[in-house]
Amino acid sequence: MAGEQGIRGRVWKFGDCLDSGNIDGVMAGVDPEFRKKVRAGDIIVAGINFGMGSSSEHAPRSLKDAGIAAVVAESVSNIYLRTLINLGLPAIECPGISGFAEQGDELEIDLKSGKIQNLRNGQVKNFPPFSEHAIGLLSKGGLIPYLRASTRSAS
Amino acid sequence: MTLSEKICARAAGLSKIGPGDMITAEVDKLYIKDLRFAKGEDPRGLYGVFKELLNAMGIHKAWDPAKVIINFDEQPARTKKRAEGQLTARKFQEEHGATIYQGEMGGIGHNVMVERGHVRPGEFIVGADSHSCTYGALGCFSTGIGFTETVGVLATGKIWLKIPQTMRLLLTGKPPPWIWGKDIVLRIMAELGPNGAVNKSIEFGGEAVKDISIESRLCICNMAVEMVALNAVFPPDEKTVEYVKQVGDGNFAAVHSDPDAGYESSRVFDLSEMEPFVATPGLPCNGQPISGARGTKIDQAFIGTCSNARIEDLRVAAKILKGRQVRAGVRMVITPASYGAYFQAREEGLLEIFQKAKAMVTVPECGLCVRPSLAAGEVCLSSGNRNFSGRMGDREAKIYLASPASVAAGAVAGEIVDPRELL
Repeated sequence: MAGEQGIRGRVWKFGDCLDSGNIDGVMAGVDPEFRKKVRAGDIIVAGINFGMGSSSEHAPRSLKDAGIAAVVAESVSNIYLRTLINLGLPAIECPGISGFAEQGDELEIDLKSGKIQNLRNGQVKNFPPFSEHAIGLLSKGGLIPYLRASTRSAS
Repeated sequence: MTLSEKICARAAGLSKIGPGDMITAEVDKLYIKDLRFAKGEDPRGLYGVFKELLNAMGIHKAWDPAKVIINFDEQPARTKKRAEGQLTARKFQEEHGATIYQGEMGGIGHNVMVERGHVRPGEFIVGADSHSCTYGALGCFSTGIGFTETVGVLATGKIWLKIPQTMRLLLTGKPPPWIWGKDIVLRIMAELGPNGAVNKSIEFGGEAVKDISIESRLCICNMAVEMVALNAVFPPDEKTVEYVKQVGDGNFAAVHSDPDAGYESSRVFDLSEMEPFVATPGLPCNGQPISGARGTKIDQAFIGTCSNARIEDLRVAAKILKGRQVRAGVRMVITPASYGAYFQAREEGLLEIFQKAKAMVTVPECGLCVRPSLAAGEVCLSSGNRNFSGRMGDREAKIYLASPASVAAGAVAGEIVDPRELL
């Protein structure tokens, strides 16, 4: 799962300040056709304040259910970032990502070392590496499976 | 350490923390809105997911029912799903224990939390709704959490959190009368820009704070999530202590920032020459002095939401509407934020003023902020906190955000005007 190995996927680009209401239904508020175009393993690259607004989990769950492998944005709203990770989907804040990746590029992401490589041109970009705790949550598939597993191993 | 860092450190059982640290904090209080119990975000519903988790963990009870507060934000429920959610919340209460506010004890959860004394300085509070950041007005750390995280807190009492940098926003100068919390926060947001406080902790300070009412502070902190901040806090002062003692048992331990606390940045906002502010459609940070939007025709005027429909807001609306009429062709809807505010307004004769002015007064609930009421092309002037496209109905409708004074003045004029013109 996400926390254990690198993530590799194709980029779909979106703009700034997308609130969770417009992300709901797999980005339906921005592109109603997107849900048909996206494939499991794809990566969303967005601008600032991705997922701002409501704490409703409809929006992040729709991305998870569509098989999105990671969200990389200039910035991600706190609730949204924690929710995605708690659902087992890595959300990465990476200033400068908008200029680094283009629609259709292929990215390889390593959460532990905090590196994103653009496979089109070989360029590498850094982001603050994920904490062990966050990687632990992701490797179990999210908070709920993590809690199940941690109790089992403790008892 | 800053005020927020100190509260987080205490909640995590650590003596010192700083920006970037990952902590596991034990929460003092968990707020849950009834909608979270409806089968929506997860087909099993919150209680279903929670029960499955408890079974897997081999435990039988929620972590601490005395710390769980549930509120019914919509009463009576308008959909079957929501009605089932409320029934499930009551079942949860029977089986695990929790405090539920419903009927005439309720209103909008955030206002109920504050007015019923559940929010105290120094506490670490999380709420299953994004506007749980409101409580920081009383000197506590509070932030909103999602569905999955709520299940986790119910089971373990803990959440993980990355400690952010703290921004200090200093308010100086004497704010003129007719400048309210909403005007101040819309201006701050406009000056900071859309990326100005993302995932930061905000701490207010400065000599003007003492002149800002608790209700205006609640409105300012309510908008912290619109700044995409993690939390916002007003250091507790005499006003805070007086308010908290009035609504609760007065049992709390106030926390203050250390004199050598580390702030990422500091900004000063001089309030002395301020004009009322309005945010134009799209983003809450689209604020500008109200003169710039003057003359914009409106179809709907809405005073409501957890942002601005407290008694202070209803009083100023009544002051403007007294002896006046809502302009023909404009729908004005006034939804007090809680039954506390509603009953107080009734006692003071405000509801009668609203009705004589031909405004529609509804029962306290989230109301039009979460229920579509706008058709394509319509314009709403709202005291709420969100003006995203599609938030209140059709995506082609437009939402302007302003203080209740400006909304009331706009309702009378049929267009956006400076509320000082109706003094």
